[in-house]
Amino acid sequence: MNSARALWPQIILLVVIITVCVFPFYWMVTTSLKTQIVALEAPPVWLFEPTLTNYFEALFEDGVLQTLINSLIIAICTTILSLILGVPAAFALARFEFRGKKDLWFWFITNRMVSPIVLALPFFLIARNLGLLDKHVTLVLIYLTFNLPIVIWIVTDQFRGIPYDLDEAARLEGASQITIMLKICLPLAMPGVAVSAIFSFIFSWNELMYGLILTRTDAKTAPAMAVSFMEGYNLPYGKIMATSTLIVIPVLIFALIASKQLVRGLTMGAVK
Amino acid sequence: MKMLRNLSCLTVLLSFFGTIAFASGHGWSLKDAAKPYEGTTVDVVFLLRPGYEAIEAMLPAFEEETGISINIIKHPYENALGEQVRDFVAGGDLDIALIDLVWIGNFAENEWIVPLADVQAKFPDIVDPDLDIDDFFPLVLNAFGGWDDIVYGLPFDNYSGLLFYNRCTLEEAGFDAPPETWGDLKDVYGPALTGDGKYAFALQSKRNETQSADSFARVLWPFGGSFLDADFRSNLNSAESQTGLKFRQDLMQYMPDGIVAYDHAETVNAFSQGDVAMITEWSAFYSTVVSPDTSKVADCVEIAPEPKGPAGRKPALGGFSLAVASQADEAEQAAAYLFIQWATSKANAREYLERGGVPARQSVYMQDGLENFKFVPALVESWQDGVPEFRPRFAEWPEITEIVQEWGTKIMLGEVTTEEGAQEIGTRMEDVLEAAGYYSGDKPLAQ
Amino acid sequence: MHRQVSRKTIFAFIGPAVIGLAMVGIAPLLYAVWTSLHFYNLTKLKRVEFIGLENYWTVLTDEVFWQAMGRTFFLLGTALPLQIALGLIIALVLHQPGLTLLKTLGRLSLVLPMATTYAVVGLLGQVMFNQKFGVVNQLLGGANINWIGDPNNAFFMIIFWDVWQWTPFVALVLLAGLTMVPIEIEEAARLETKSNWILLRFVQLPFLVPGLVAVLILRTADTLKLFDMVFTLTRGGPGSSTEFISLMIQRVGFRGFDQGLASAQAIILLIITIVLAQLYIRVFYKEV
Repeated sequence: MNSARALWPQIILLVVIITVCVFPFYWMVTTSLKTQIVALEAPPVWLFEPTLTNYFEALFEDGVLQTLINSLIIAICTTILSLILGVPAAFALARFEFRGKKDLWFWFITNRMVSPIVLALPFFLIARNLGLLDKHVTLVLIYLTFNLPIVIWIVTDQFRGIPYDLDEAARLEGASQITIMLKICLPLAMPGVAVSAIFSFIFSWNELMYGLILTRTDAKTAPAMAVSFMEGYNLPYGKIMATSTLIVIPVLIFALIASKQLVRGLTMGAVK
Repeated sequence: MKMLRNLSCLTVLLSFFGTIAFASGHGWSLKDAAKPYEGTTVDVVFLLRPGYEAIEAMLPAFEEETGISINIIKHPYENALGEQVRDFVAGGDLDIALIDLVWIGNFAENEWIVPLADVQAKFPDIVDPDLDIDDFFPLVLNAFGGWDDIVYGLPFDNYSGLLFYNRCTLEEAGFDAPPETWGDLKDVYGPALTGDGKYAFALQSKRNETQSADSFARVLWPFGGSFLDADFRSNLNSAESQTGLKFRQDLMQYMPDGIVAYDHAETVNAFSQGDVAMITEWSAFYSTVVSPDTSKVADCVEIAPEPKGPAGRKPALGGFSLAVASQADEAEQAAAYLFIQWATSKANAREYLERGGVPARQSVYMQDGLENFKFVPALVESWQDGVPEFRPRFAEWPEITEIVQEWGTKIMLGEVTTEEGAQEIGTRMEDVLEAAGYYSGDKPLAQ
Repeated sequence: MHRQVSRKTIFAFIGPAVIGLAMVGIAPLLYAVWTSLHFYNLTKLKRVEFIGLENYWTVLTDEVFWQAMGRTFFLLGTALPLQIALGLIIALVLHQPGLTLLKTLGRLSLVLPMATTYAVVGLLGQVMFNQKFGVVNQLLGGANINWIGDPNNAFFMIIFWDVWQWTPFVALVLLAGLTMVPIEIEEAARLETKSNWILLRFVQLPFLVPGLVAVLILRTADTLKLFDMVFTLTRGGPGSSTEFISLMIQRVGFRGFDQGLASAQAIILLIITIVLAQLYIRVFYKEV
């Protein structure tokens, strides 16, 4: 089976996959190291004298650094909150029997499908009345609408994949449901928890629409910042790509660290 | 002209001494006027454009003198309206409204902004005796800052459409002057300057305000067309409007492919790279096209007024005024007024100009030593006489511009004919105006 | 199989999530329903009035709305099959034994598109697909293709980026499904047949179905929500060629300021999404 002849197509395919995935990223990074004149060179140049000016300007003059910090605070808080709320709910959906369970599960998932455009303005007006505009907590809360469903979805599936015998045994020894969840099921469901955490983080980190509408300066997020360079008057490509690189790198590091869990946690209900 | 200049020098000189005399006589100074409002913070939306950077650079002097701090919130143009509307609707923090000329009807009708005279009456002590409101170009003051004969804002970031041309390319092709009419631009200069990947002209037409302001409206007026007739019905299917729209279609053969995706940045870039010989763009781009850092043709750039059409020279008009927001509290209103007055003042106009802004003060353009600003003569000429309702300025414009943007680009792409497109825009535009109550007589026909 | 537990316990586990989500999800949604029944224009708040279902009628009879909807489903219909086909190929390759290092690299590089901020993808698209200084035309041997300014090319470009960004997600979900196939069964089947197709069809597919349904649901919802990448890449242009439903709603609600009409559009969109999701789940998915 693994004769050299059978391997070649695989190798070629893998190289193609890797190239296609990595090339745009490569191009973003190299463009971010170009001056405006070099960036507009036609046809584009591959070898040039790199400059870090774009990064300095973006980070320290235009305040991208602050927006990155904001995004980080918001993404971490909303991820943690989603897990704290979502994991017990997932456990209940996987383990307990009660009326309306299907509908409840479906309602959770439905929230993931609501377009932010539906909620953005009402949320803006409500936040304004409560004095919550341009605050981190506002985004942390509204990001629950798409993070909580994903946590519940993935983690419920994980819990359901864990054999009952384990918690039956524990229950006979007098363990409470909380103990069963924390001590027995959670460790086994870790891949799912990790994956849903990664997705929560990625979704929150990348979110644009709410970030644009609900923040102004203090809580402005990094994607909202990247878009704000798009004045039709002048497109500083190098700086836009530098900002983009700065936005992508943290989430990339996070995702790469956790990438091993990705496959194990994404079973989506394919139970043995 | 020389005498005029001397005379104006004299006026400037006189008014200068006058101010000193006045100031010493009545004791008006910015510092004293601002005293009660020390420590106030004023929130304002700025764009990422040269005129704003210019005033930002000058800002420390103001803050030092007054103790008022100006909190600038930057947005790209396309977001600036939505951002401000949401803030005013929610009773937010903005103390100054930044008003594009097409937003003024909207802001005024919603009473988000306070008439200038009201602020002045409320706080007589902060009015600079040298404000000299007649020194603003009347067209600009009226169009950018006024609505229904009331002045709300003072013109701050001011534009007129100008013809930027590449003298070197034109000379190579045997032209020693830019086209005087749109017809010449298309029929004489067009064929001569297009070929080998080079194009005679580029008209920024991207589907946003650029399409309606820079592209669509630009071909209506010079040919005698307009958006609306006297009864506020669509005038887009009139012979004149159609001539203009068909002219644009015809002119596209001398423009780069994909012109419907060109915003200002792409257009200016095509010109700066030497790919396009002529563009009609806002005065504010002057610094970009003459800077060697951003332009390969810096030495060849010359500027003329926009070409004439059968209906005369009707250059594009655009620009922003600053007005005091009604949601601001008393101290903020006074502080906001002081900032607006300072930023648009006669005294600061020269520095503003030199830092890359375009003031709307007539006096500054009569001063000596403006030879480096090649756009000045064409700008002054354009502001003598223009169409304030180049784009209608009523409250319905934000809805109508979306319609024009959609169908305007469809016309350019050839997805609909100019007649069909004009018909679509007309019907939809009239629906909006009907709903607003213009036809039932509920609303005066003001644009 | 499931245990009966007290209501209090159930509530303690599930209550916080329900309350949290209801607060941030339902309250604004009710507000949106309310505005959808009114003439509610942000710049004309003096004139807010109840107009019943008029906004809904306007939406349902507006051909521009349905064109945008059609365009959105056309995108879904072209991009999703591509994502599933490519994703399946990638998953099967990565699932094969051998070439460990290259496959680890492959799996790591799959994370890259997925982690790239959607708005950044659009910005990157502008740079790479620019007719003059874009690298794509250069790689195509100095082609002079007008990507952004031509309606068909612009649509193709959107498909390309959507596929680039989301194929890795599909691949990882399917790979996860493949790893769930018990090793004994897979090996036994390999002894029975040499055909990879038969293996896929009869042994692996049952384990892939839940993942496929999840992909179907998530990608349908996300395509209907698609906004950031298109907004930064084409803004819906040229003409209306890439104006998808979410861009249209944003335009009506936040640029034309007609929040009443935009809310009605959004609610119709939501209903369509929910019906579709219900359909997928009822047909394919074994529910909780």
